[in-house]
Amino acid sequence: MPNHYIGVDIGSLTVKVVLIDDDLKIIGQGKERAGYSGRTIAQKLIAEVLAKSGLTTQNVGATVATGYGRVTFSADREVSEITCQAKGISHLFPSARTVIDIGGQDSKVIKLFPNGKVADFTMNDKCAAGTGRFLEVMASALEVDWQEISELVSASKKPTKISSFCTVFAESEIISQVSAGELKADILAGVCDSVASRVASMSRRTGLEPDIVFTGGVAHNDGVVKALAKQLDFSLLISQEPVITAALGAALIAREIKK
Amino acid sequence: MSDNNGQINSSNALELLLEEASLKGTYRMKRYPGKKFFGYFCSYFPEELIIAAGFEPLRLLPDSENSTPAELPGYCCSLAKGTLDMEIRKQYYDLIGIGFTHTCDTMQCLSGVWSACGQTKTVDIVPPVMLNAPGAFSYYLAETKNLMMTLSSLTQTAIKESSILEAIKLCAHTRSLVTEIDNLRSILPSPLVFSILRAGQLMPRVEYVKALEECLPDLKEMSSKNLHQVKILVSSAVLESDSLFAMIEELGGRVVADDTCTGYRHYSGNTVWGSVNPLTDIVQRYSEMPPCPCKNRSLNERIHHLTTLAKHRNAQGAIIIIRKFCEPHAWDAVSLAESLREKGIRTLTLELEGASVGGQERTRLQAFLEGLLESPDL
Amino acid sequence: MNEVREKQSNYRPLSSKKALQKTMGRYYALTNYHRYWGKIFRRPLAWVTSGAPVELLRAFNIHSAYPEQYAAIYSARNATVALCEVSEAAGYSQDLCSYARSNIGGVLRPDLAPLGGMPKPNLLVACNNICGTVLKWYEVLARHFKVPLLVLDTPFLPHEFTAQAKAYVLEQLISMANDLEKITGCPFDEKKLAAEMKRSREITSLWIETRQYCQNSPSPLNAPDLFINMAPIVVLRGSKAGIEYYRKLRDEVKQRAALAQGAIEDERIRLVWDNIAIWPQLFSFYKMFSEKGACFITDTYSGGWAVEHAPGTPMESLAATYTEIFLNRSPKYRANQLIKLIEDYKANGFVMHSNRSCKPYSLVQEVIRKEVMRETGVPGLMIEADMADPRAYAEEPVRNRVQAFLETFL
Repeated sequence: MPNHYIGVDIGSLTVKVVLIDDDLKIIGQGKERAGYSGRTIAQKLIAEVLAKSGLTTQNVGATVATGYGRVTFSADREVSEITCQAKGISHLFPSARTVIDIGGQDSKVIKLFPNGKVADFTMNDKCAAGTGRFLEVMASALEVDWQEISELVSASKKPTKISSFCTVFAESEIISQVSAGELKADILAGVCDSVASRVASMSRRTGLEPDIVFTGGVAHNDGVVKALAKQLDFSLLISQEPVITAALGAALIAREIKK
Repeated sequence: MSDNNGQINSSNALELLLEEASLKGTYRMKRYPGKKFFGYFCSYFPEELIIAAGFEPLRLLPDSENSTPAELPGYCCSLAKGTLDMEIRKQYYDLIGIGFTHTCDTMQCLSGVWSACGQTKTVDIVPPVMLNAPGAFSYYLAETKNLMMTLSSLTQTAIKESSILEAIKLCAHTRSLVTEIDNLRSILPSPLVFSILRAGQLMPRVEYVKALEECLPDLKEMSSKNLHQVKILVSSAVLESDSLFAMIEELGGRVVADDTCTGYRHYSGNTVWGSVNPLTDIVQRYSEMPPCPCKNRSLNERIHHLTTLAKHRNAQGAIIIIRKFCEPHAWDAVSLAESLREKGIRTLTLELEGASVGGQERTRLQAFLEGLLESPDL
Repeated sequence: MNEVREKQSNYRPLSSKKALQKTMGRYYALTNYHRYWGKIFRRPLAWVTSGAPVELLRAFNIHSAYPEQYAAIYSARNATVALCEVSEAAGYSQDLCSYARSNIGGVLRPDLAPLGGMPKPNLLVACNNICGTVLKWYEVLARHFKVPLLVLDTPFLPHEFTAQAKAYVLEQLISMANDLEKITGCPFDEKKLAAEMKRSREITSLWIETRQYCQNSPSPLNAPDLFINMAPIVVLRGSKAGIEYYRKLRDEVKQRAALAQGAIEDERIRLVWDNIAIWPQLFSFYKMFSEKGACFITDTYSGGWAVEHAPGTPMESLAATYTEIFLNRSPKYRANQLIKLIEDYKANGFVMHSNRSCKPYSLVQEVIRKEVMRETGVPGLMIEADMADPRAYAEEPVRNRVQAFLETFL
């Protein structure tokens, strides 16, 4: 019986898939780097997730795609990440009124109505500052693995200050700090502060209302989480798996359209 | 194009308009070998005088949004960079001249840079910024008279008063036809309307009017009304392609009000004639047309005009475009968004590098329209 | 030995610095306490653009405060980023003028602004001779403060100052005087305006004279001196305090010139500066030059206030003086101005600051640079930065360019 629903989030850096059943329970999920063809990875991931649960495409009632690759992916419907994110988060956190999502290419602040619908949203402008991409570029300039960031940052006592708003300028600023003998941990903490301050400034445009949920790949990064909480002067709720919340939202929408 | 008898049938006429809109003036020499084109920037350059001088007005639009001519810094808009690059690549060698209007700081600078490094003759008009200031009208009139002299000197023949009157009437007729189309927005696909309006700034005027007259009856029949479409107002500077309008339409929106430089704002306002001096009528039209952000008729006139327009057309949402580095529009965007929101019209401010929209913009537009489709009354 | 000398400042401080601090300190104190005395003395406070005809305002006893001047101070005191973030959060694009963004930030959050921000205005006066931005900026202020906005529209001059432009500006000035009569309740007194203009001319001629001593070699002043010492001519034009200050400065600079005392030690390279100062890096930036013996002997920016008043009746003179300023003119005019400075000051080169915040100043610089290099044969360097926002300044690339440029003089 087609009583399962798939949400697939094809982001600029990673692809996420969530499988739910008719009772909105997550029964399978997967994620992988998007690489060259996010679409192919998405198809492969869906097949894997289904296989793991002993299901086939016959069991899928509807699929909804979101994320950058949503337009070219053949699904029953494509829905923007903002709507999906709002859906996923308000399902996990019914009390949420604000969602802060820092993804690979975009960062967004979404304001929610009490019923979980989108009331307003702001996204970063064209440049990459304040996104996961920025963090990644800076980490690679420092030859630090994505996974090591949190640990290194927690060791920092005196974060440096990154003042440039342009990614290219900021990279050269970091290189100057390296040659000036600043500690890697301190520079990295400075980078986290910089991402946090960009996003904090953006969130002031829509206004903040608790509860605030922080989601997206960067929510794994403790350095940014702490810096952001401090700058916003609010505590942040983080789901156990912050990267799959948009895919979850997509799956929930898939179930709605099948009804 | 037209057949041997010069007759155009309706579907050919529409095809011609769409073709001209997408060609943006390239191949003009081949398509209209007998015509002389005069390039211009900004809707404040009086096209009546170009026509009266015997030329065809051609609005200059960039063919790329990634041009980087060495003469302009990186933080300059892609309209200025793209067109200057075309001048350097000798895309305008056939033009009789290029008209610059002092509107924004960038246009003011572009005129000087152009005359320093380009080949084509440049012609300047500096209209007043404060259109209702004491002395503004007579100053504008004197500037317009100067412009007429300069244009005359290009052909070595004086522009006759009767030619000016004819040109005013032709422009008035153009504007009234375009206004008819503008009134059909709710039943016509948005990118189609946008294209038709753009074509009028890129092709010989008489041919444009003829084609419009031919296809107007069919356009009136061609209802594509969709009750579920979200009604949108768009405000922007120059947009040289339909990309944005096409995406809005694709995502479930319909542009019911268009305040863009290359869209309806170019044609809006009243055309008058009958004064002893026809130049007075021209100045009156340009002084009173709905202003662009570079001009001031009173502190809040532009904002008031747009909120009224949005209400009048029952717009549910507004999309304000800021072309990267376009300061006048970026300034107005804040007060405009605030005023629209106060009137209950949800507003999205979107930054674009050029005129085309891609993945980043799709996410924003889609989320915005999804919100309006889901809960239109909030 | 050389090492030690490098580490010491090779800069000669001006002894008139104390007088400058006192003069400006008094002005800021007066301005920031306006709410205590403005009503009593019936002197409204106007926020004005740097190119506004303040002599006319002074003739109505109006006290003027300059958002651009405050913005430069915000920047020198490292407050610009925080203030810009406030206005960016309010929706103002990061690509807008940083003076305007930081000023609006200070309006919204005075607690983040040095000097506690600016005192609230009773009216706003903008003149678009410097840019179109000021009109948009002051429109925002007018909506915020709900006070009258008076605009003087000085048409851009692609060529000469035409008769119609003259008549237009004059008519607006007369109407502005009428508006000011209504706002202040004082009648317009042409004699008072003439007296203001006379003092303004005096301060201008002192500033011109002071600058001319820099034609000497070594130059008695360097760019940071010019930038710091231009403050009174901007905000105290037409005042006795301003005149007194510039007399002191003139005397000191004249004496330095007579004693052949240079602003920097071992002046080796004489440069002309084009565009607004890089306020957040005022000393560190110019030090890259002074430590290599390069001195900025003159500039187009603070030189904007060193222009003789035009002749005619007081109103005619105001109209021409404020319309004919260099930023309101063609690149050709500006290239000639720069060529003349290079010749008069015997400069070996010039540096242009491509200033993200100021399009009218900057968009035309590259064609001017080429023309000036062709005409004079001296090299010109272009540096991209911002007058107030340090986030647009990339230190390493700038340092590399400066070094390479200075090496061409070896």
